[in-house]
Amino acid sequence: MAPDTDIYGHKDRLGLSLACSALLHAALLGSILLLPAVKGGSDWGNNGEGGSPGDAINARLVSGIPLPSNPQANPENVLASESKGLSQSLPQPETKPDESAIAIPDRNAKLKPPKAKTPAKPTPAREQPREMAKVDNTIPFGSGGPVATATYTNFQSGNTAGGLKFGENGSGTFGNRFGWYTEVVARKVHDAWLSEVNPSVSSAKRVYILFDISRSGAPSNIRVEQSSGIPSLDISATRALQRIDTFGPLPPGYSGSYVSVEFWFDYRR
Amino acid sequence: MTVSPASSDSLALEDKVNRSWLKWTLLVLALTAALAVGGCKKKAAPPAPPAAPPPPQPKATLSVNPESIQRGQSATLTWSTQDATSISIDGIGTVQASGSQSVSPTASTNYHLTAQGPGGSADATARLTVTEPPPPPKAAAPPEPSEEELFAANMKDIYFDYDKYDLRPGDQAAVDTDAAFLKAHPSIKFTIEGHCDERGSTDYNLALGDNRANAARDALVRAGVSASQIKVISYGKEKPFCTESNESCWQQNRRDHFVYGR
Amino acid sequence: MKRYAVLWLLLLAFVLPGVAQDWIRTGTGVGGEKIRIAVPEFKVSADDGQAAALDKTFNDVLFSDLSAAGIFDVVSRSFYPLGAIGGPTDVRLDTWAAPPPKAAMIAFGNVASTSGNLQVQGWLFDVKNAQGPQILAKQYRETATDDNARLIAHRFADEIIFRLGGGIAGIAESKLYFISNRSGNKEIWGMDYDGAGQHQITHLRSISLSPRVSPDGTRIAFSSYFKGGPNIMMWSLDLNRLVKFPEFGGTNLSPAWSSDGSRIAFSSSRSGDPEIYVSDQNGNNLKRLTVYHGPDVSPAWNPKTNGQIAWISGRTGLPQLYVMDSDGTNSQRITDQGYAVSPAWSPNGQLLAFAWIRHYGPGSPGNSDIYVLDVASHQWIQLTHDGGRNDFPSWSPDGRHIVYQSTRSGTEQIWSMLADGSQQTQLTFTGSNSQPNWSWK
Repeated sequence: MAPDTDIYGHKDRLGLSLACSALLHAALLGSILLLPAVKGGSDWGNNGEGGSPGDAINARLVSGIPLPSNPQANPENVLASESKGLSQSLPQPETKPDESAIAIPDRNAKLKPPKAKTPAKPTPAREQPREMAKVDNTIPFGSGGPVATATYTNFQSGNTAGGLKFGENGSGTFGNRFGWYTEVVARKVHDAWLSEVNPSVSSAKRVYILFDISRSGAPSNIRVEQSSGIPSLDISATRALQRIDTFGPLPPGYSGSYVSVEFWFDYRR
Repeated sequence: MTVSPASSDSLALEDKVNRSWLKWTLLVLALTAALAVGGCKKKAAPPAPPAAPPPPQPKATLSVNPESIQRGQSATLTWSTQDATSISIDGIGTVQASGSQSVSPTASTNYHLTAQGPGGSADATARLTVTEPPPPPKAAAPPEPSEEELFAANMKDIYFDYDKYDLRPGDQAAVDTDAAFLKAHPSIKFTIEGHCDERGSTDYNLALGDNRANAARDALVRAGVSASQIKVISYGKEKPFCTESNESCWQQNRRDHFVYGR
Repeated sequence: MKRYAVLWLLLLAFVLPGVAQDWIRTGTGVGGEKIRIAVPEFKVSADDGQAAALDKTFNDVLFSDLSAAGIFDVVSRSFYPLGAIGGPTDVRLDTWAAPPPKAAMIAFGNVASTSGNLQVQGWLFDVKNAQGPQILAKQYRETATDDNARLIAHRFADEIIFRLGGGIAGIAESKLYFISNRSGNKEIWGMDYDGAGQHQITHLRSISLSPRVSPDGTRIAFSSYFKGGPNIMMWSLDLNRLVKFPEFGGTNLSPAWSSDGSRIAFSSSRSGDPEIYVSDQNGNNLKRLTVYHGPDVSPAWNPKTNGQIAWISGRTGLPQLYVMDSDGTNSQRITDQGYAVSPAWSPNGQLLAFAWIRHYGPGSPGNSDIYVLDVASHQWIQLTHDGGRNDFPSWSPDGRHIVYQSTRSGTEQIWSMLADGSQQTQLTFTGSNSQPNWSWK
């Protein structure tokens, strides 16, 4: 058989197949680039509503089941926190404030209430709580400091921090004796308040609210003690408390007919 | 030529050979004789066999049941034989030693069985009487179909699309046929049952079935049927006609079913 | 650039709903910070032979009641310090506050069975308050039976839940009513909230549907083909028989009690089209509320105010969720798509649970899931995702639990879950069980 010497001279007909190949590659590349933009836009970005149902890895699954808030919220529960605790804390060094300096009031500190508001209570006792307020701002909960006198029940969830103080004629032993009840109240107030806030508010000065809890556990006499400066925030805090039917009856060991509560919230988005 | 001892040897040898040939022949002959004798002896040795008993006479029985039939019916011929090797029945042929067979002759027949065996032969007969069937009764006119049967034959169920209770355009013909039948039989009272397929919620389907049944009722009334003939009930998805989970079964269940009576 | 915008949007989608959906925590009281409670086994303090079995029943039931409550993180018994605890003197609070248990609360006590009497003493202590730890000290006495051991455990659990859950009564003694075909026909059955004690209530040998117990717990309104119909019928649990209720003609179904027990709303097609009607509790003073053509079913009263009724209407095609005032005015449509059925109003009047096939498509419509909607803001959240058809949600009296029917196990069964969708538990296993209804207390 004579060898086919024409194979070297034979030209391959590449033109058509090359064109088709190029076209398909271009189509593939184009679809990869364009598809997410066309398809993705309708699926993503649905705030709090959309997403395909039944998809186990849908983003809304995660957000729908709220993660437990920081369990170390309660400063009275020193033992449950990760801090070193009482045994290792050193007393805070006293710093004498500079006489000539004019103290810049802390943004979130509670201002002196007008004289008309204060009933006939000894002034030093009134001063005391306000300093406690400052102290609570700077010392992170759980590490150091005496436990018994921390009358604020503090909690924190995400960017929001808050605190409740139970007054019992100013002596503040209610929180010590009935810590569990204060936690119940804190939990309910916290949950109620969070849902009321106007989402357009990004941050606010602290708002202080006063209310009473009757023997049956119902909140009453709700009033704003110091405004946050944003009326809608004040109103939402008030409304949140009005939503609550009851905290549960006051502990049987407590002899008063009601207990007054002061609560504050730092709202930050 | 000198006579060598060899030649005398060869002579002796020849002699020997001749003698050995003779020996062999004699030996063979002797053996053969011995064999013959022995063989004969063997044949002759066993004692004469006892005289074989005479072969038994074969027995045969033949019966027919029933013994009298009408023309067109059949009867069973039953026979049994013993000690027979060849059995035959007239009109049927060779058969097994025992057995039965169904026969249906058109006239009375004598069945004759012959059984042959070494001991002889045997016979058996059986007579089957065939009588004329009685004349067929005068064919009565078929009974008038009942109202219920008419209803079931003529009323067409109406089917619906998923989650819909309005009549499809194609159903209008069914409505017209049904209405025509009902108007022709104004005494018939019946029930329209509304049904749904298994998908969807129990309570909603009950209401949907009600809407379906009422849609058919309204259509029939519009076509001239008297409302007093009609009762309506919804079963939702509680009484399905089939239970598979596919579209054809679901379509079967999405219907108004017409039931005679109230 | 558009690609990055999409990614940023996706990131925000993670962050924003986390804050926006706190309304589900508020409305239901579930999902907030849970209290760590330790529940060591109650010690047997006196035994007449029965105590061991009763003690076991009591311990098991108490542990599951507290685990199911929705407000506790019950510390696993493998973390407890060793040593049996029968009374306050046996408890060393520091060992319970320290890791590994790290408990905030501890419930303990003892069980005594003497000459056929069962006595249980129980305490609830605040672990962090060494000066005055006692929150509760309770004593219960009943005849010594397994059912009573269970009952006492329920009572003690409810006391703890009431105290630590902010004054909302526990549900350990509440009941569920549902439909089962186990006997060969669809009848009304009853059981405890945790699935125990399942028993048949009606024996009508017909098809019975949608049972709804009255607020005082004495009667069950339901729909049945017992007398043709189907008709609204009334079963008296006290008398254990049917009591009179009018027959209205047409198809009558899905009765719903107002929370004061004075009125019943239901769907009736007596006029030729299923509409929502309201009558008093005896079926008199009938008043029609809806007028549009199309199926109107499944009314549900706002139990807080009784001023609103939610219901399902197919007037536009597929069934959708609507809300109106209880006199029939101000009706507004809530869902905008899909196939929505079976609304159930939460006890605090803020949330609606319902079953929804959101993306209803041609051919097989897909599974229905339980959703919860905040009525004020119309925000919603999906609670079930695991497949199967989920329907007929019903709220517990504490607003923290939802019972529903689901086919996810292969057959139709009753399931219960916390109102945020967690802790989904199957309650029934035999036959086909559907349409559950939670008692009012």
